[in-house]
Amino acid sequence: MSEFLSMGGYGKYLWPSFVLGIGIVALNFWMALGSLSKAKQEARRRLEMLS
Amino acid sequence: MSWAWFHRFASPPWVYGFATRWTPWFGGAALLVMLWALYGGLILAPPDYQQKDAFRIVYIHAPSATLSMAVYATMALAAAVGLIWRMKVAHAVAAACAPIGAWFTVATLGTGMLWGKPMWGAYWVWDPRLTSELVLLFLYFGYMGLRAGIEDPQKADKASAMLAIVGVVNLPIIHYSVTWWNSLHQKPTRLLGEADMVWAMVWPLLLMFLAFFLFFAAVVLIRLRAELLRRERSASWIREVLK
Repeated sequence: MSEFLSMGGYGKYLWPSFVLGIGIVALNFWMALGSLSKAKQEARRRLEMLS
Repeated sequence: MSWAWFHRFASPPWVYGFATRWTPWFGGAALLVMLWALYGGLILAPPDYQQKDAFRIVYIHAPSATLSMAVYATMALAAAVGLIWRMKVAHAVAAACAPIGAWFTVATLGTGMLWGKPMWGAYWVWDPRLTSELVLLFLYFGYMGLRAGIEDPQKADKASAMLAIVGVVNLPIIHYSVTWWNSLHQKPTRLLGEADMVWAMVWPLLLMFLAFFLFFAAVVLIRLRAELLRRERSASWIREVLK
């Protein structure tokens, strides 16, 4: 396991790269869902004011 | 040839329904393919004869870099369609693309720096490839800043579309920078045909490209729904979809 994590001595560069990349993927998904949820709330509020 | 399919994409309620239906499929497929690619890239692929295990950064870096440019091309194309055919949905697609492209440009620069340190001895050099990719990030910032700075949505659409279209000139500069100028960055790698890498290294990379594009499709459709809800404001179809 430690051999796998060390990645031939390049682990200190490789793992932060994967954390950054996968983190940005996850963050994008989470932010997009947040944006949709906010837009839905605003639209509902607008419709309530109109009715 | 019938253009009925194209006209459907001009209808916000139809596009909203399309996006709602397809997002889980793209998202689910992206997750499965990404897990498979990670297993292939981190465990099954052999180390490179020169770069050893550091080469595995390619499984995040190359798909991020390709997506950063492909998203910009999509954004500019959508902006052009919006300008030419005055299609509101196209401007919404362009606006939905921008933050995703900016984030993947950050991923490209960040993972590139982490690859550059062990290979070149420096996190950053003012190399043509790195510099033109940084310019791409500024173009995304400029596009989003321009949209945010103009209150009238139609004026914001037009101004930001012009910037997106002009910025396309940077895409061939990024792509060909490694052949036009002396660059520390490696030349393009052939993945198919007379490939520069063995198949055990190539297939996880191809899968990761697929995963990133599927992921982009899922996220841009979510952001597109949010954009349409904001733009259409009091349209009657919004009442239906929010039930």
